[in-house]
Amino acid sequence: MDPLLSVRDLKVEFDTRHGRVTALAGISLDVMPGETLGIVGESGCGKSITALAMMGLIPNPPGHLTGGQILFEGEDITRASPKRMRQLRGRDISMIFQEPMTSLNPVFTAGDQIAEAIMLHQDVSKKEAWEEAVELLRVVGIPEPRRRAASYPHEMSGGMRQRVMIAMAISCRPKVLIADEPTTALDVTVQAQIFDLMRDIQEKFGVAIVMITHDMGAIAEMADRVAVMYAGRVIEQGRADDILDDPRHPYTSGLIGCIPALGREAASTDRLPPLAEIPGVVPPLHLLGAGCAFADRCPLVHDRCRRERPPLAPHGMAAQEFLGGHAVACHAAEREIAA
Amino acid sequence: MSFDGHPSAGPSGAAPLAERPLLEAVGLSVRFPMPKKSPFAERDYLHAVRGVNFKVHAGRTLGVVGESGSGKTTTAMAAVRLTEAHDGAVMFEGRDVLKMGPEELRRQRRDMQVIFQDPYSSLNPRDRVGAIVREPLDLMDVGEKKDRADRVRELFSLVGLRPDQMALFPHQFSGGQRQRISIARALATNPKLIVCDEPVSALDVAIQAQVLNLLRRLQDQFGLSYLFISHDLGVVQFICDDIAVMYLGEIVEYADRPTLFATPRHPYTAALLDAAPSLARRKSAGYSRAGAVKGDPPSPMNLPKGCAFASRCPRAQPRCKDEKPLLRPLDGAKVACHFPLEG
Repeated sequence: MDPLLSVRDLKVEFDTRHGRVTALAGISLDVMPGETLGIVGESGCGKSITALAMMGLIPNPPGHLTGGQILFEGEDITRASPKRMRQLRGRDISMIFQEPMTSLNPVFTAGDQIAEAIMLHQDVSKKEAWEEAVELLRVVGIPEPRRRAASYPHEMSGGMRQRVMIAMAISCRPKVLIADEPTTALDVTVQAQIFDLMRDIQEKFGVAIVMITHDMGAIAEMADRVAVMYAGRVIEQGRADDILDDPRHPYTSGLIGCIPALGREAASTDRLPPLAEIPGVVPPLHLLGAGCAFADRCPLVHDRCRRERPPLAPHGMAAQEFLGGHAVACHAAEREIAA
Repeated sequence: MSFDGHPSAGPSGAAPLAERPLLEAVGLSVRFPMPKKSPFAERDYLHAVRGVNFKVHAGRTLGVVGESGSGKTTTAMAAVRLTEAHDGAVMFEGRDVLKMGPEELRRQRRDMQVIFQDPYSSLNPRDRVGAIVREPLDLMDVGEKKDRADRVRELFSLVGLRPDQMALFPHQFSGGQRQRISIARALATNPKLIVCDEPVSALDVAIQAQVLNLLRRLQDQFGLSYLFISHDLGVVQFICDDIAVMYLGEIVEYADRPTLFATPRHPYTAALLDAAPSLARRKSAGYSRAGAVKGDPPSPMNLPKGCAFASRCPRAQPRCKDEKPLLRPLDGAKVACHFPLEG
C-alpha cells in the first residue's frame, strides 16, 4: 500500500531575533490510508510546525520551507500553487485546532460556518449545504442538531465547539484529518468523548488522522503508529505498541517513565516512588550543536553522541524497513541492537 | 478545650491534640453576585462552592480534584482568603481565618502561602527574580534585614536554581524554572501550609515530573502541608494523601489515596478515572468505556433539585433527580450518592 501523505526530509527555518533557526531539520513521515499517526513531543519540538506544513500554512515571513517534499497522493504540495492548495485544503486535507474557542468565527452560526465550508468545495445550493450541515452536526453527536445549527459559538460549551470543528473538518470527506492537540483545552470527561468521536469517524469514513499531542496516554488510545519528535527531528518511529512497550530512545523511555501511574494498580498504601525525571530542559534551537540534541540530558551519553548526530536508521536503510518499522536515532540504542 | 498547640496538654480521654488538623474548613461557601437584569430585580448569585468540609493535616497533602467549574480553585482561594467566603469557617490551628482582621490576617499569611498555575503571569516581569523571592521576607518583616540576601540564596539552591541566577528577570527562565521561583517565594516565610493551584498544569510532562518530585522532597524536609488543586488524577495520586473530588461546587467523594483509587465509590470519580488517558488502554486492543459519561455539566446558575451529576450519570435512577444525596460515610470513605459503586 502506498502512503497517502509522505513527508520527505522536510526542512523549515524561522527568522528570529537569534537569526535563522531550524525548526524542522529534515523530517520524514508517512501517513497510510485510514490509519492514525501520532506525533508526540514537548513544546518547541516542531510537532505543530509539521502539522502546519502539511496544510501549507507555514507563515512566511518569518517561516521558510527550505528543503524536502510533502507528497499527497504523489503530488508535491510544497510546490503547489496557492489556488491548488486552496482546493486541497479543507477538501482532501483538513485540520482541527487546539483552541475551539478561537477557531470558530463568533459572528456566524455553527450551521453557517459548516455550510460555508461545504459550498466552497461542492456545487450545492445554500439550502442543500445547510441541510448537510445539520446532518453533520448529528453525525458528530450534537443533540438537537437543527436547533444547534442556528446557535452561535458563544452559546456552546467547549466540547460542543470542538464537535462543530470536527463537523466542519469532515464536511468534504477529507482523506487526511490533522488534529493539533484537539483536546488540550477540554476537561477529561469531554476529551474522552472527543476521542471516541474521532475513532468513530475514522471507522465510518476511513479518514487517516495525524494526531499531534504531548500526551503519551492520548497516543496509546488513538494512534496506530507514532513518531516521537525532539528539537526539530523525529528521534523514534514505529508502531504504537512497540514504542510504548519497548521504547529504544532514552528520551522516549524518559517521556513514558515520568507519567504518574493512575488507578487501581498504583493504589498502594505506601507512598509512590519518585517519578523518573529527564534532567534539564530542551536546548534552545539556536544553540544546537553538531551532536545529538538530547546528549546533555541523556543517561546513556558518551563522546560520540556529542560529536556526531545519530541518524534515524542505519545508513542506507529506509526508516520503515529498519527493525520492522521501528527506527531510532540513537548511538546507544544502535549498539544495543547490534549486540 | 486547650488550644496551646502542645499535644501533651490535651485533656485525657479526648482525642489527642496532635490529631487536630492544621486547617479545617466547615460549611465553606462562596457565591459570586451576578449582574442585575434591572435595577429593581433581585440580585442573582452563582453559588460556586456550597458548604464543603475538609481537613488538611500537618505534613500531609489534601488533593482537591475536579473539572473546570467544579469550584476547586475557589475553594482553595477561599480557604486562604484570597476570595471572600460567604458562609462557613476555616480553622487554621484553631483560629478562624474568615474572622481575622486585616492585621491578624497579614501575620497569618506567613504560614499560608500560594503557588499559582500560570508561571508566566504570577511573577512580576519588571522585578529581578531575587527581589521576587525576597519580597515576602520584607513585607512580613521576617528575620534580620542583613540575613535576607543569604536566605534568598539558600531558597534558590533549595528549589534547584543557581544563586547566580538571582539577578535575572522572569522572562529569562523557562516555565519549569519559573515555577521553581514561585516555589522559592512561597517557601520564603517558612510557611506551614502551601496552597498549590494546578502548579504543574502548564508544564511539559518531563518538567512536571521534576516539579512534583521537588514539591514532595520539600514537604519531607520541612514538614509542609499542601492543599493541592488539580484536574489530573495521575498527579493527584502521586502527591496526595487524602483526596476530595468536587463536582459543581460540592464534594462528592472524600477518601484517602489508596481507598479512593482502589475502590472509587461515586460514579463521577469512576468516570474521571475511566476517562483519563492511560498507557494501558490501547487502540490496537480495541477500547471500551463502560462508565463513559455523556454531555457537559449543568449550568451552576440553574442547578437541579436532586443530584447535580444525575443528568450525566450512567447509574441514575428516578430518586437521584428528586432527592439530593448527602455526603455520608461508607467503608472509610465519604460519598454523596444514593447508589454508590460496590467497594
